[in-house]
Amino acid sequence: MPCTTLKLSARSDRRFIRSTYRSNRFILAEVVAPHAHEQTERKRPPVNLAFVLDRSGSMSGEKIRLAKQAVEYSIARLQSDDRFSIVTYDDVIDVVVASTTATAQARQDALARLATVDARNQTNLGGGWLRGAEQVALNLAHEGVNRTLLLTDGLANVGITDRDELARHAAELRTRGVATTTFGVGTDFDEVLLQAMATAGGGNFYYIADARSIADYVTSEVGEALDVVAREVTLEITAPEAASVESLSPFPVERRAARTVISLGSMVAEQVVQVVLRLNLPLGELGRETGAVLALGDSDGLPDNATQTLSWEYADSKSNDLQERDAEVDRAVARVFAARARQDATRFNRAGDFPQAQAALHAVAKRIRSYAGRDPEMRALIAELELDASTLAAPMPAAALKEMHFRSYASAKMRMADGKAFRRTSS
Amino acid sequence: MPTYTLSDLAKLADVTPRTIRYYITQGLLPSPGQQGPSTRYDDSHLGLLRVIKKLQNAHLPLAEIRARLRKITGEDMATLASSTDAETPADSAVDYIRRVMGEPTAPPPMASEPPPASYRVVASTSEPEAQRSQWERIPLDPDVELHVRRPLTRQHNKRVERLITIARQLFEED
Repeated sequence: MPCTTLKLSARSDRRFIRSTYRSNRFILAEVVAPHAHEQTERKRPPVNLAFVLDRSGSMSGEKIRLAKQAVEYSIARLQSDDRFSIVTYDDVIDVVVASTTATAQARQDALARLATVDARNQTNLGGGWLRGAEQVALNLAHEGVNRTLLLTDGLANVGITDRDELARHAAELRTRGVATTTFGVGTDFDEVLLQAMATAGGGNFYYIADARSIADYVTSEVGEALDVVAREVTLEITAPEAASVESLSPFPVERRAARTVISLGSMVAEQVVQVVLRLNLPLGELGRETGAVLALGDSDGLPDNATQTLSWEYADSKSNDLQERDAEVDRAVARVFAARARQDATRFNRAGDFPQAQAALHAVAKRIRSYAGRDPEMRALIAELELDASTLAAPMPAAALKEMHFRSYASAKMRMADGKAFRRTSS
Repeated sequence: MPTYTLSDLAKLADVTPRTIRYYITQGLLPSPGQQGPSTRYDDSHLGLLRVIKKLQNAHLPLAEIRARLRKITGEDMATLASSTDAETPADSAVDYIRRVMGEPTAPPPMASEPPPASYRVVASTSEPEAQRSQWERIPLDPDVELHVRRPLTRQHNKRVERLITIARQLFEED
């Protein structure tokens, strides 16, 4: 599936850099996936999914029923080229349906087995998720979309429970072809863990406040898997050797010799992803130019033309101080810093450190004010941050904290407020 | 693999386009074929330019640099060009999961060192240089510099990288 129509555009906040100082410059890179119709000559890539359901005691009743319904609706959308499996876990892990092709018979058998699943004990989240990933891995579709979908309402309290360790495993599995998406239901799950697993795992994270929306979120994620037009898209930046490149957007980053490679995950038709990068550029001779080359890749082959060069010119202090700024880049930078500060602030608030929660938001508001000028969007953002600072100055309900944490994640990752993919047609 | 125009390559290697043309005529860099505005260079050119720059910083004459570059074999060249490809994990996802879960796996393939980064190619072909240590000056601010004696152990190097990252944040320009 050579994808020839992924589009890349990139711009920097400023044109000049200092000759006697290292300079930080921001890049806003936008990647747009093609419309599905532009690729009519090919079939969609097959999907290979594992549904991993928490069946611990807290899921009992309505939640487990709705989760099972979500799986039922999801597998109804698969075709016989696709594969799926169902794993449930409490302290014991059950492979309810081992990886199978999604034939009509297999789907019917799966529903019968799913009907016997009920909620029980403690939560071996790590074990259940790894079992699901194993089902995907056993039949890895090299030309397809391989993803484990983990749905939970609770904390990992049996088996591997360490956040960093689980996130590291998610990253390792991503490099081995299995992505991880996570759904947190209600107010008792660990959003820091689920977000870290999804970010490192190259999938998506969703917060489902109301269990009645489980089916909507799960089928939407499955719908995205079915609508993938570019698999495992990467944005690669080649910069001068003495420069450093950092992604401020929450995507996995790897260094490969001269390049910084940012994994954007699979993209659905018309999806728009923006990535904010910070380059720290070395000093240099007045009048000389330096630059960075950005290129797109996906796992199906790299189009030759999807590259763009950005250049900066070494200039004196006066030119640097007086130069124009690109407001669109500034806005994106402000949004991503605001999102990061909000996530920090929700963590401080939960830990009971209210002054720190406020300080984090005031600091970023102050920083944005220093370059916002009269820009209405950035001024509105500052006002929101100040408002959030006063809200977070006192204990907040768990659901509100989860909501704020999740919206910040979605905003930094350029997804809609409900976590779904942002498409050119959605605007 | 992305390719670069002459002007891109010059910016990325911090040399002038003229220098690149000169290196090609001097046989330090392979010719990209017909030269013109549409000529494209790849990562092997960038890797070699950075190697040349390092050797020049060590005050080696051009003739010596050329002699050393000649020692770079075809295989090394391929490594230079491909060192930006993703490393393939040593085991499969299934083996990885089973190992994490403490279950028997298929015998793992021999663990192999990751391919060396482009600038290591020359160090390995020049033993006397490899032993010599050198101070590197890293400017953090007009008034502050960090001095690092290289080579460093991998662990030390990681710490220094972290130190530089933190220091740069402290000295952010604005």
